Amino acid sequence: MKFLLRLLPVLAFGLSPALAEQYNNLYWAPPNVTVGGEEIDKILNFIFWLTLLVFIATQAVYITYLVKYRRRPGVKAHYSHGNNKLEIIWTTIPVLIFLGLAIYSNRVWKELFRNPPPDALQVNISSYQFGWDFRYPGADGKLGEVEVKGITAENKFGVKADDPAAADDFTATELVFPAGKPVHIILNARDVIHSFYVPSFRLYQDAVPGRTISWVWFEVKEPINLELACSQLCGKGHYNMKAPIRVLSQEDYDKWFDGKVKAAAQARAMDDEKSLHAAAN
Amino acid sequence: MSAITAEPPASTGQAHHPEVGFFHKYIWTYDHKMIGIQYLWTALFFLLVGGGLALLVRYQLAWPNTPVPLIGQFLPATVASDGAIIPGGYNMLVTMHATLMVFFVVMPLLIGTFGNFLIPLQIGAGDMAFPLLNELSYWLYVVSGFLILAAFFAPGGAPGTGWTAYAPLSAEAKYNGTQMGQSLWGIAIFVNGLSSIAGATNYITTVVNMRAPGMTMFRMPLTVWSLFITAILLVLAVPVLSAAAAMLFCDLNMGTSFFKPAGGGQPLLWQHLFWFFGHPEVYILILPAMGLVSEIIAVFARKPIFGYKAMVYAMIAIGFLGFIVWGHHMFVSGMNLTLSATFSVSTMFIAVPSAIKTFNWMGTVWRGSIEFTTAMCFALAFVTMFVIGGLSGIFMASTPVDLFVHHTYFIVAHFHYVIFGGSILAIFGALYFWFPKMFGCMLNETLGKVHFFLTFIFFNLAFFPMHNLGLGGMMRRIADPTVYEHLRQLQPLNQISTIGAMGLGFTTFIFLGNIIITLWNRKSHPAPDNPWHANTLEWTVPSPPGHGNFPVTPTVYHGPYEYSVPGLDKDYLPQTEPAPAHVKLEAH
Repeated sequence: MKFLLRLLPVLAFGLSPALAEQYNNLYWAPPNVTVGGEEIDKILNFIFWLTLLVFIATQAVYITYLVKYRRRPGVKAHYSHGNNKLEIIWTTIPVLIFLGLAIYSNRVWKELFRNPPPDALQVNISSYQFGWDFRYPGADGKLGEVEVKGITAENKFGVKADDPAAADDFTATELVFPAGKPVHIILNARDVIHSFYVPSFRLYQDAVPGRTISWVWFEVKEPINLELACSQLCGKGHYNMKAPIRVLSQEDYDKWFDGKVKAAAQARAMDDEKSLHAAAN
Repeated sequence: MSAITAEPPASTGQAHHPEVGFFHKYIWTYDHKMIGIQYLWTALFFLLVGGGLALLVRYQLAWPNTPVPLIGQFLPATVASDGAIIPGGYNMLVTMHATLMVFFVVMPLLIGTFGNFLIPLQIGAGDMAFPLLNELSYWLYVVSGFLILAAFFAPGGAPGTGWTAYAPLSAEAKYNGTQMGQSLWGIAIFVNGLSSIAGATNYITTVVNMRAPGMTMFRMPLTVWSLFITAILLVLAVPVLSAAAAMLFCDLNMGTSFFKPAGGGQPLLWQHLFWFFGHPEVYILILPAMGLVSEIIAVFARKPIFGYKAMVYAMIAIGFLGFIVWGHHMFVSGMNLTLSATFSVSTMFIAVPSAIKTFNWMGTVWRGSIEFTTAMCFALAFVTMFVIGGLSGIFMASTPVDLFVHHTYFIVAHFHYVIFGGSILAIFGALYFWFPKMFGCMLNETLGKVHFFLTFIFFNLAFFPMHNLGLGGMMRRIADPTVYEHLRQLQPLNQISTIGAMGLGFTTFIFLGNIIITLWNRKSHPAPDNPWHANTLEWTVPSPPGHGNFPVTPTVYHGPYEYSVPGLDKDYLPQTEPAPAHVKLEAH
């Protein structure tokens, strides 16, 4: 019974406002949260209305024909092999529509993949069976460079050993960044292909082992909590390969950042002390 | 043009063929009709297996981690534990469902069954060009079927890397944990590919060389055209997949590194090879369906096909463009971004011939005299479902939108509308249409209508909500959507879809029941030679046709769609009958 009740709003296309509120997301995409994501929504909506219109128009004609020209005694079908003028018309119109759509799409595509702004926060994301590791630039604001071939069990990110910028980098198990600031991700995979997918970002990008994907960047408008999902079948644990995404206000982010930098410095100090002791003994 | 295009086969008379024993009639036969029927039964068996797997998948998505009723405890330990499907097992179910449905159900039904049965009959030939190769092709298919089913019993279980088997997950045992299963998958695909290539070679040779006198290319039924173009696609595309499967096998078992980055290989190479095959494959799965549907619609609208030549050119265009759009599966794979833009344009253009075909089908029913037989209902529904599947494809062709919906249930909805709503509905329609010719008896029309309406309703119930699931952000191939906060609220849609899928499973048994009952009492409703008053050559011979098909090689006088010609008493004009002097046929 409870199940039937839950089905009701779906079947009746959202009748009661209370239920509609609860299931406000059944018919459409989750709200977009990124700058530029609304461009994707615009095309999505445009194609939706266009295809809906085409569907209704063609089906209206089709069904009318089916009803009107059903078999009736004494009525013979019209003998015709076609009409070349019509063929030309209904070839040209789709060509023009699709050409327009392709131009429109490619313009937005180019816009989405322009170079990341220089002040973007760089985050290195390393995906593996079945999870995500994140690496942030430390106090110097510079992320140590990645070398795909250098990825090993110890050096999970494949950080170049001699890069001084890498010294103060710190790692995290969640993706945290401030709202209103562009974030540029450097994407790697350690074993098989994974995929960075956040529906609210309108973003999907494969992470391919042996390559560094460095053209993805985004900017989230408001603080929000989301989940990062893997969207490329990567093995048994694929379905649960997720990581929290926390988009914070600049203030909260700074607090988190300072905490992380301090913790990383302490950990390094401990390591140094240990190795000093080891050397002394 | 009425030039004789081929030497008639030397002996086509039935009298030349003595009765053969059971083994040579049903098991190892050179008769293309029986080979077609062999394909039919085998593929229907795989349809049940593949459908059963789909139901398990749907059950898990609607009610995750709860024991599957009735059969849960019988599932192998690699798939389920305590009757509930486990994530690794879910991946196996998804992979095997897709592999079986594509390679062992839809291709064998469209190409194996109807290709074999119809091509010689519709072009007026006594048999295929290479009967032995033809039978070999069937048995290779059976062998590949055993190999793929064996994967379930392999140590570690069946492959769980998706039917696309993306490397390096598929190429390294330490990542997929199913070395044996994945290897069997590779071998099965390879052997299945040999079967397809053998069949396709046969079709091309037969169509080019063995047409009856007067059967010019532009007098061939659209069914033959569609199968001919499909065969060309198969010969060009399948070897690439076979090579890729062999490379995958070597990577898995022999230490090569074609696709493994650690050894200097390239994971994207697999994707390029796979989709170079995979996209023509999509059209391989739909072109023959278009041909079958065109035939049925013309016959039951009692009208010539609107724009016959436009239909042929559209199919040729689809065949050609099908080879330059594969990259649209890889917009976000890490491939060069300029390439993505190029593939986006070619993908948009491949929609044009599909639109042309749709308009021509509508033109064919316009001012017709439509009889709603079961076959016609399926064919008419095909057009609408194909329109939905085609329109939803436009979303993915637009690269920015693809960035959002790629690899979600939106895609799953899209290709099920094309492959189930398109190909499978066409296959059902074609079975109702040609069953009398195959078996000499008529399927029950009442049960047929029930089958049609339930299929239509449950199909849409099962697959339409998937569009919404995809827009809501639900990824493909995840064993349990409820682990994600933002997907949990979508569960009602998953449950509706599962109810629809169960309905479809149930409905299939009505169809099978109809076949069994009809064959059981085949004497009580025998099929006349030409039950639908159709024009093509297969309807000029008895149902079922004897060995050698045509007692006398037929001569063809005009195209296959001369219906409702003014000035004739009957509303059809078989291809073997010349038009009377006072009747003028329109050029097409």
